[in-house]
Amino acid sequence: MILSLDLIFRVLIFPGFTFILFLTMFCDWVERKIEARMQNRVGPKFTGPAGILQPFADFIKLLIKENIVPRDAKKTAFRFAPILAFSVVVFAICFLPVDGLAIIPNSAFAGDLIFVMALITVANFLLFLSGWASSSPYGAIGAARVLTQFLGYDIPLFLLALTPAFLAQSLSITSIAAKQYLPFILLAPWAFVLFVITLQAELEKDPFDVPLAETELVGGLETEYCGGKLAFLHLTRDVQIVFGAALVVELFLGGPYGPVFFGLPAFWYSLWFVLKLLAVIVISEYLTCLFARLRIDQVLTANWKILLPLSLLSLILTVALATWIYPLAV
Amino acid sequence: MAVLQKKLNNTVRILPDYLGKATIQVEAQLNRNVVKTLMEADNDAGIAAISGLDLGGKIGLMYHIRTNGAIVTIRTEVPKENPKISSITDISPGASFHEREVADLFGVAFQGHPNLDRLVLPEDWPENLYPLRKDAEIDGVVTKCENPSAETVETQPQSDGTLVNMIVGPQHPALLEPEKFSLKVEGEIVKEVEPRIGYVHRGIEKAAERRTYLQDVYLVERICGICNSCHASAFVETVEEILGTQVPPRGKYLRTIILELNRLHSHLLLLGHAGLEIGYETLFQYMWRDREPIMDLTELLTGNRVIASSITVGGVRRDLKETHIPTIKNQLAILRKKIKFYKNLFESEPSFKVRTKNVGILSREDAIRLSVVGPVARASGVSMDVRKDAPYEAYGEIPFKLVTRSEGDTYARLMVRLDEVIESINIIDYVLDHMPQGPYRVKVPRVVPAGEAVNRVEAPRGELFYYVKSNGTAYPERVKVRTPTFANIPSFIKIAEGGNIADVPASFVSLDPCFSCTDR
Repeated sequence: MILSLDLIFRVLIFPGFTFILFLTMFCDWVERKIEARMQNRVGPKFTGPAGILQPFADFIKLLIKENIVPRDAKKTAFRFAPILAFSVVVFAICFLPVDGLAIIPNSAFAGDLIFVMALITVANFLLFLSGWASSSPYGAIGAARVLTQFLGYDIPLFLLALTPAFLAQSLSITSIAAKQYLPFILLAPWAFVLFVITLQAELEKDPFDVPLAETELVGGLETEYCGGKLAFLHLTRDVQIVFGAALVVELFLGGPYGPVFFGLPAFWYSLWFVLKLLAVIVISEYLTCLFARLRIDQVLTANWKILLPLSLLSLILTVALATWIYPLAV
Repeated sequence: MAVLQKKLNNTVRILPDYLGKATIQVEAQLNRNVVKTLMEADNDAGIAAISGLDLGGKIGLMYHIRTNGAIVTIRTEVPKENPKISSITDISPGASFHEREVADLFGVAFQGHPNLDRLVLPEDWPENLYPLRKDAEIDGVVTKCENPSAETVETQPQSDGTLVNMIVGPQHPALLEPEKFSLKVEGEIVKEVEPRIGYVHRGIEKAAERRTYLQDVYLVERICGICNSCHASAFVETVEEILGTQVPPRGKYLRTIILELNRLHSHLLLLGHAGLEIGYETLFQYMWRDREPIMDLTELLTGNRVIASSITVGGVRRDLKETHIPTIKNQLAILRKKIKFYKNLFESEPSFKVRTKNVGILSREDAIRLSVVGPVARASGVSMDVRKDAPYEAYGEIPFKLVTRSEGDTYARLMVRLDEVIESINIIDYVLDHMPQGPYRVKVPRVVPAGEAVNRVEAPRGELFYYVKSNGTAYPERVKVRTPTFANIPSFIKIAEGGNIADVPASFVSLDPCFSCTDR
């Protein structure tokens, strides 16, 4: 009974759903603030101290807006795809060790890295579905672009995720994170750089934000959405960003593990996790501000002609190093 | 001109010194030949405008041809009952829009024109009612846009084999103003473009006939919020030419500052907007931040941030205070440093170059054929700038460089503007250093003697053309405005065709289109 209460607490409060939700909102605020400062603006300012409550205010505002479903939309898919996409991403985060353990402690298994990557594929497909179901040309084109782009970056992302797996000789995220006495960013910095760039595409951020190109596609797949469904689409996007950054933390930055000074290790692990996460988000936001948006064909060219060969090369290099060089050093 | 005179002497009457520029009077049947001869005389000749004029029983047509940097006007007349004239679109494709506009507003049938559909008037405008004819009863005409309860006809996108019709506008996020472009798309490649303008046509040319010259100065300023001073300057100069007024030198120099501030803020606005169109939001925020001091300087100089309302018949309304000079110079020095940074950025930023280089190419030949103007023409290697060709205000006395590039792509069009910003800063610096003393305006009479004048001004977007006819009262008989965007829109067809859909917004914005200009 105690065990199950503990499990419920872990899933619902910390480090589960509530924590992820708050973390997402916080990261959204950090992102907006950084982007604003980089663009010489102020950013959120009035809601809460330094505007920290702005993402909550936006979310709640959208929730109380009128909920309209277009006449021609495929209603079921249109309604449920955003919420399903959100749930799938949150479910994927549950496999990441936040305070030293995965959120559902016993759920971690030997191949959960592959499982989590597959879940992200599902989430992207659900996003595609949500745009497709809206029966609007802009939504449809935006959705098609999500899928096209995703075809381009999915394979490099997977290959690059294998680099830390090789170094840790495990496909379980928890053990990859746990085995980083020396963070893998130091052992394979090239893979880290490539992974972050590919992640920009996965998260549909500049220079790869073609599915959301507002000057060409109005709102892309979000065009027909409003009210609560739009709130969930936005939340999905933000949670995806947190998930992407968390994945980088787990695979390259030594996961939640760091020095424990006093008290509960869980507290310190969570703190390290959040700090590392923020570092990744700062890098990602920096890249966003720095570049113009590429065209969809240029994105695909970049993915297939540059990122894919490079990630293969990175994998070969890693395998070679992990087999012959690093064992000597360790 | 001498050669031309020889060639044409047998058939036409040359009216020297008329309009202050060369004018040729011809019979309607011979019009085509004369235009052809003129166009063939100069390889870079283009059509600047076609003005219609109600002459009572007849409709006068004026073909303003730009040749060797000057304007030659060919006048002809057609009967009002049966106005017909052969089209010159086959000689100069750039005349297509001009002819369609005259067909709309005066009801002249241009025979041989490929497509004389409505261009500026609404689709449901009454047949045989031509608003710019003096006898047209336009009060009480109600069109659908003013009467939404009327039945609306929706045009659904249709498939035509492998071509997909895609309609961009009248409402679209890439267009801040309402215009429609029907694109025929195959895959991601644009095959055909058909623009339709006129969604916000306000009939300013007609409205100007009902107001006094002084009121018209404010009216024409409102044709375009961005290049408002250029409109004021162009209009005021025609009136001054008819009046024979000499503007004092200080007035001319002050006008030059206002015009260059106008150009600075327009170019910075466009460069920022271009950043937005290619998804480079940071560039957009930076550019618009740096544009803000220019607006403040305009306010310092004229009292208004946007619509300056400073240029008036006979001079300017406000003098420059000595104490303002250091402020202006400081701000411009800061801007000059920033522009250097942007130039470095444009030349080195890979994602920016990948989106703009070799995109939307307009060759030099096409630029001349389509008679494009301003930075668009200069980016295609046509060295044309009214400030150099026919100096107005103080430009004749100011040394500055004419910026041209040869590539003709989106990148070149943006870079030309960036370099022009630096030239504008130099011009203002020079003007401030050489500001003559004396009065800045002269009093002029309200009633203007009969006469007519054409005038051109280099607006930020290119050559702005004005024709004003006075009938000896306080109200003008006819005010014709040809805005730079009106001349540049046809080139968009050329630029977009064969390109990628995703490039349409970026290459379109590189033309710096202004529809409130186009829809006068």
